Amino acid sequence: MKYVCRPKGHAHDCDCGKDSMSVVGDRAVIDLSLSATQPMHYTTLNCAMRKAMRQGCLSIELKGVMGQRYLASTASVPGLHVAVHGTPGNDLGAFLNGPTIEVFGNAQDMTGNTMNSGRIIVHGNAWDVTGLAARGGQILVKGDTGYRVGIHMKEFGESRPTTVIGGTAKDYLGEYMAGGTILVLGLGGGPPVGRSLGAGMHGGRIFVRGEVSPEQLGPGAALLPLNEDDEREVRRLLGDFIKAFGTEVHQDMNGYVKIAPSSSRPFSGYYDKTNV
Amino acid sequence: MIHRKDRRDRTDRLGAPVRAENYIASSPPGWQGQLGGCGIASLISLKGERIGGERITRMLTIMEERENGLGAGYACYGLFPDRSDQYCLQFFFDDEEGKRNVEDFLQGRLDIMHDEVVFIKERSTISPPYPIVWRYFVDVPENRVWRGDRDLGEEDYLVEIVQHINANVPNAFCVSSGKDMAVFKGNGYSYEIADLYDLDRYSGTMWLSHSRFPTNSPAWWAGAHPLSLLDWGVCHNGEITSYGVNRKLVEMNGYRCTVLTDTEVVTYLWDLLVRRNRLPIEVAAFVMAPSTYQEICLLPPAERRLAEWLRITYKEAFLNGPFSIIVGRSRPETTLIALADRKKLRPMIAGLSPDDGVAYCASEESAIRIVEPDARTWAPGAGNPFIAVAGKGVLRRGTEPSFQGVRV
Amino acid sequence: MIDAPSSRRLDHRLPERFMPTINYDLCRVCRRCVNECSYQALEFKESRVVPSGGCVACGRCIAVCPANCIEVRPVPPQFAPHGNWSERSRRSILAQASSGGVLLSSCGADDTHPPIFDDLLLDAAQVTNPSIDPLREPVETITYLGRRPGRLEVCDGKVIVQEDDTPLIRMDMPLMFGHISLGSISYNAQKALFMAANELRIVAGSGEGGLHPDFYQYADRICSEVASGRFGIKPEYLKGVAAVEIKIGQGAKPGHGGHLPGEKVTTMISETRMIPRGTDALSPYPHHDIYSIEDLAQLVSVLKESTEYRLPVGVKIAAVHNVGAIASGLVRAGADFLTVDGFKGGTGAAPRVIRDHAGLPVEVAIAAVDRRLTQEGLRNRVTVCAGGGVRSSADMIKALALGADVVMVSTSAMIAMGCRVCQQCHRGLCSWGIATQRDDLTSRLDPQVAAARIVRLYRAWNEELKEVMGAMGIDSVESLVGNRDRLRYRGPNPKIAEVMNVKHIGEGWG
Repeated sequence: MKYVCRPKGHAHDCDCGKDSMSVVGDRAVIDLSLSATQPMHYTTLNCAMRKAMRQGCLSIELKGVMGQRYLASTASVPGLHVAVHGTPGNDLGAFLNGPTIEVFGNAQDMTGNTMNSGRIIVHGNAWDVTGLAARGGQILVKGDTGYRVGIHMKEFGESRPTTVIGGTAKDYLGEYMAGGTILVLGLGGGPPVGRSLGAGMHGGRIFVRGEVSPEQLGPGAALLPLNEDDEREVRRLLGDFIKAFGTEVHQDMNGYVKIAPSSSRPFSGYYDKTNV
Repeated sequence: MIHRKDRRDRTDRLGAPVRAENYIASSPPGWQGQLGGCGIASLISLKGERIGGERITRMLTIMEERENGLGAGYACYGLFPDRSDQYCLQFFFDDEEGKRNVEDFLQGRLDIMHDEVVFIKERSTISPPYPIVWRYFVDVPENRVWRGDRDLGEEDYLVEIVQHINANVPNAFCVSSGKDMAVFKGNGYSYEIADLYDLDRYSGTMWLSHSRFPTNSPAWWAGAHPLSLLDWGVCHNGEITSYGVNRKLVEMNGYRCTVLTDTEVVTYLWDLLVRRNRLPIEVAAFVMAPSTYQEICLLPPAERRLAEWLRITYKEAFLNGPFSIIVGRSRPETTLIALADRKKLRPMIAGLSPDDGVAYCASEESAIRIVEPDARTWAPGAGNPFIAVAGKGVLRRGTEPSFQGVRV
Repeated sequence: MIDAPSSRRLDHRLPERFMPTINYDLCRVCRRCVNECSYQALEFKESRVVPSGGCVACGRCIAVCPANCIEVRPVPPQFAPHGNWSERSRRSILAQASSGGVLLSSCGADDTHPPIFDDLLLDAAQVTNPSIDPLREPVETITYLGRRPGRLEVCDGKVIVQEDDTPLIRMDMPLMFGHISLGSISYNAQKALFMAANELRIVAGSGEGGLHPDFYQYADRICSEVASGRFGIKPEYLKGVAAVEIKIGQGAKPGHGGHLPGEKVTTMISETRMIPRGTDALSPYPHHDIYSIEDLAQLVSVLKESTEYRLPVGVKIAAVHNVGAIASGLVRAGADFLTVDGFKGGTGAAPRVIRDHAGLPVEVAIAAVDRRLTQEGLRNRVTVCAGGGVRSSADMIKALALGADVVMVSTSAMIAMGCRVCQQCHRGLCSWGIATQRDDLTSRLDPQVAAARIVRLYRAWNEELKEVMGAMGIDSVESLVGNRDRLRYRGPNPKIAEVMNVKHIGEGWG
């Protein structure tokens, strides 16, 4: 089937990236300020990025990103590193499947939507619905996140998504959670998590550094102490966080609490199957 | 459903109330459209010479068996050589008030360069009342043509005017609105209508004609064929079974259906496909009467792709069911198009005079032979358009492969 | 807090609904019926087969009995007759008073809302146009699914075809199989559907349970579903199929999520859904990345980016009261096709209160969508699929004439496989091996046999479609779609005809 980059009928040899992308060896740099059309449209940018990937680039650096959406969605090149300077738009790294995306700035909403594997490192904040339905890979956020982060994360076999939030998370963190791990550090101060924490969770685990009161929990979530496996996992994730951002974090495990499902079948008694 | 104009009470020449069966500009109450069989005939001078009205009358009336006296009509092209650059709006008015209504409406919207009464014989076998038939030669004021995002050219502007009048202005109906052409039609037999308008007094380079056999009455003068918009004139024999679908497409593109017949929709489709979407005539004909997908599979790759995409894109323009149509236009060239449905369920014969000077299309061979005994005749194929242009000749006989002559 | 034991105490036991009755004169005591009854409604006692309660009228025993000696009889009303307090309303109250639970059911709404389909009569050609004999003359049913350009550009008299702009799927008939997930039905049942879709050259929905690796061989006939649970979505699930559809809602449970109980999440299901074994597979009520129409545009766009614009991306909604305006929003949000699932659509499990009381009949929904999109000049840009309660070729034909390009069917395909619509899917005990994950039951369904039955059924429907089109004098299905002129309403409420823009019987055309 013929390759198409956008609905306006660009062909394989379209001009996307012609004026703004330079490729040296396996490194591509796309400077959005050089684009003839300003601001550069996301279809053009994604098309240029796909060209770089097809040419075998293992590093793509984006300069001057300003709200362009869907960057690196479904990107599947193993070992690829995408550096984003500026503000990427919604759905950054949606359905991501292997590569690493590093954002030097804040990310918008729905970062890492339904990601499969790979890493998204945000040297700033990442707002609402980060990591929706992730089933693998890692999201590291140095700063704060918004509402409904880590909804319906899953896990299966070796695939186990992890999310580390250096700052805080708001309400509905880990709603519908079916697997994976979320770690919230609350480093910037303020309450680390909001209300309805882990609402309806039936798998996975959330670790929070700091205080969590039972009133903050959503239905189906339970507040537990950490066991040895949990502590090992928290230390491992802290290691990932420190490595990514170079920040020092207090490693005393007494300061952490765990939120886990009270049952893997939270609503099993909810329904009446009588044949009326 | 459109809101039909209120019908005002009218009186005949003696001052008596109008018989309920006779409807001219105003549609009969509860008008739902009309269907039925018909005869069609047309001729075009390939040398661009003028041909008198008696010839087309003879062609049409020889097929008298195809009509039942409930409507006939003629369209003449190349009719106004002195005013060929002005649009000729030809109206039926039920009464003087209809005329005033239209003139009030046109005030400031169009520049009326000249207007005149259209001759109607005082004595006729057709029952009165007769309409006031009036024509206006108009120009579109420059400031009325909007060339913004939505390039509303003067033709689109004129379409809006005509459609507005036909939908909303009481006691008036615009029967034709093109340049260098006019439509003469009414409720009666083909020879009665020819007699009523005294067609012998006119001559033109191309004539279309139609006599009808509707299944219902009352008949409506304005609903008789040819149906016309701008310079398009359409005479149609048959019934479009896909009417509801085709109508949706033209309505989506801003046309207002006021006559509620399939022929009206066919007229708008030609305007949409050829004038507005700029499809070549052969391509538009393919859209209306496409090959089956099975046949399309046998085409060369580029043509196959075109054919598939035409069917997909314009599936609402596919005219299903039996039809043969004769279509005329005066711009950019005086052109005669004839097309039968893809199963060739309605008759269509084409002919050429021995000197190649005049081309004919008609429902029956007799219609051609009566005026051109030595014509060479042939049958255009199912869904295969016949195209002739005044001054150029027969460009397409209707026997060629679908996209012959079309750039693909 | 009052908390008495809520288990079924004898004094609140509900009367049986069905009674298997055995003709002992004919019974050979082979006990096949006992072994085959997954609901354990028959037992072998004192050298004969006797009913043991809980029969759901799945009809399995009747089918397997070699002596043809079983009859399942509906138990006559056991409560005092009452015009308002129906037997079911009283049974429901008694059940809920015992359980405190939300009543769950499956299949489509079974209340006696009369189908509007039954109030519509088709037209036929007489005199003014000829009918067509589909056995001897071509009558076309080829249908394309996807976005259409609205018009083709012409440059110097050359018509420009930009094929790549608008990916389309060609189907041999205006029919698609609805989305039924692996999980709600068995591997063998889903395989049969995919095999049949492949053979019929139409499209089948994947449901939202991911796609089993074995089924990628049918990928170019599969429309994968992205629903709120986002199960099994990996790059090949998006890129390697025929089309992608975002599921916003389902006709049987508009506004409701999904719930595959943990007991159905077997190893295979957990692999394809990519969730741990035995956990409930929950689909959230909304998509948490769609809280507004512009968010839908975002999900449509990211799917188009992700599939590099090679596949049509559609959106499926439940038919609700404002369906026309919503449909227009979907088209403006970039949907290449949209699917409207009517009130009577099927489900593997839904709260009864929603299944039986929420939504809009598909007949009205189709007409509303078709009319609204036409008014807004969008109808020729998009493919409209619709289903939910389509029981026969007649329903399919009426749905097309009301304005659907493609009719979606599911329950009829399952009936073809063996389903008797006993409405027990949610219990996972399907004796026909369709709506179950129990190995001993799923092995009862041979995908080859089931696929062949589905193929025969819809080939027959398509022939019936051609017969009707021929009778109407229409030789290609696109001239039937939205042709409401060829329908008349003869039901009790002319207002319905009016909102559907269908004329009443007795109203002619000319």
